[in-house]
Amino acid sequence: MASPQLGKAAAKQRRHWDRKWIPYALLAPALITIFVIILSPLATTIYYSFSNIDLIRDRTTFVGLDNYVELFGSRLFWKAVEVNLKFAAIVVTVPTLIGLFFALLLVENFTGRSIGRTLLILPWALPWIVVGLLWNWVVNAQFGALNGLLYSLGLIEKYIPFMADEDLALIFTALASAWRQTSFSAILLLAALQTIPEDLYDAAKVDGAGMRARFRFITFAWLRPTLTIVLLYNVVLGFLQFDAVWIMTQGGPGDATMLISVLLYRYTFINFDLGMGAAVSNVLGLITMGVGLIFVRLIYRSQATYA
Amino acid sequence: MAAIGGRVRKSGIIRKIATYLAFCCLLFWVGFPVYYMLITSIMRAPDLGAKPPHWIPPEPTADNYREVLIGKAGEAGGYGSTTEFTRMMPALLNSTFVSVAVVLSNLLIGGMAAYAFSRFDFRLARAAYFGILMTRVLPALSLIVPLFVILRKLKLVNTLGALILTYTIFILPLTIWILREYFDTLARDIEEMALIDGATRWQAFRMVVAPLAVPGIIAVGVMSFMEAWSEFFFALTLTNSLTYPPLLMSFRNLHQVNWNALAAATVIGVIPPVVIAFVFQRYLVRGLSEGAVKG
Repeated sequence: MASPQLGKAAAKQRRHWDRKWIPYALLAPALITIFVIILSPLATTIYYSFSNIDLIRDRTTFVGLDNYVELFGSRLFWKAVEVNLKFAAIVVTVPTLIGLFFALLLVENFTGRSIGRTLLILPWALPWIVVGLLWNWVVNAQFGALNGLLYSLGLIEKYIPFMADEDLALIFTALASAWRQTSFSAILLLAALQTIPEDLYDAAKVDGAGMRARFRFITFAWLRPTLTIVLLYNVVLGFLQFDAVWIMTQGGPGDATMLISVLLYRYTFINFDLGMGAAVSNVLGLITMGVGLIFVRLIYRSQATYA
Repeated sequence: MAAIGGRVRKSGIIRKIATYLAFCCLLFWVGFPVYYMLITSIMRAPDLGAKPPHWIPPEPTADNYREVLIGKAGEAGGYGSTTEFTRMMPALLNSTFVSVAVVLSNLLIGGMAAYAFSRFDFRLARAAYFGILMTRVLPALSLIVPLFVILRKLKLVNTLGALILTYTIFILPLTIWILREYFDTLARDIEEMALIDGATRWQAFRMVVAPLAVPGIIAVGVMSFMEAWSEFFFALTLTNSLTYPPLLMSFRNLHQVNWNALAAATVIGVIPPVVIAFVFQRYLVRGLSEGAVKG
């Protein structure tokens, strides 16, 4: 930062003085609001998870690890974990694979490509609650689009109540989430694909690389960092999804679509057991923080190589 | 966009066919659920659920939209219709107000913080940056109970202020992250030069840094609009369904759902985010990918 022909020492002086407090002043609104709205509730939630909260008598008693012991000993919790793992498996794989497929398609040169690219944004632009509703129309037993389609094609005689079946309910709620997330994944992958220098392919062709080799060593290699990020996003969604599942099934039938987030909602807002709700929150938080840590580390690494 | 001519050169007819088959998959994947909602919204109730289903509405009607917008249906209405729908217009106005306010406050607070991270070396900068980014992966769901208590103390429960405040904070990490990237792309030297020429920091920011960050600012603005417009859970728990998404949920929960009117309500409510997404498509894609992947 050698500043040439700097005549005004005073200006320099002032800047040095500036530097001390200006960044803190600039950060203050962000840090204060984050503290009030996120960090202090976070601390409270952690405290709640070690407490028994009696809402009627308005009494909070410290109970140590009781909530966690009860949680890890409950059938309900492990059911939610099992459901959530299955759900996440679909929400991670389907958007990544179909997203990659669409991204590879939309980087091709063909008439209709720009329509395709615009259309791709559409699911991402819809609120989760709308995505849930949309899929309600798809799977509905009386007038659902999927039933209608299968019927029109002559594949079924009468409409199937998809959401009454436990396995199908889980698959379809996961597909609804996957539907929107596919667009997000494809948008990211497409953006990365567009940055691949054309010469790489030409050079590889000159070197006699076939289509498979070119895909593996150029396209795929180039996409790898983006794919990692996409996977992480999808994992986080797999564990944090609530809206779309809630409007579709509210966790049912039975507990078939009871994700950990749905269990959290049930404890907190239906049973009003805030201590248990907080314990579930923290377990869920730890899972996503774990993923998040990997995520932030990767970003720091890419930043280090960039700088 | 960069033409990928080189790769299509080899294009046999097979490749063309495969491309268009894949394109049809895309059209079906995205279009099928959306199309079905659209036709439901202009169908009369008795036509919904006919066997075989109508893929083109036999008697298109605007009654469903009428019911949602002015709370009164035509002759085909009255089936499961409800006063709930009269809350639709206020909810849409609330959603608009909240979203616009979130965009502005988020750009202001986030922009300031991003500028601080980009331009100053100060103690704890790294820790603060890391901490802010981490808040992005916290399950918002898990903070709701203490948050409710805090907002009640601030007398903000069941106000739009509660939503503006929480949405702004939850989108901040992304904003700070993306804007910082944009600020970083401008060499400090250029800004230094403006300062040496006697500009104040604010002038230097406004005339040198901000113009270069315009694409980032638009991207962040659009994304925070979408997030604020779409948010469901806080609006459900912190307010009495003041905005559009929780209201949609309460329609859904009515004993006798008028599915056609619900479809119309859904369509109306997604127009703003969809139009914005399409208009700002380019910025959005850039912002999304920079926000997610980084250079």
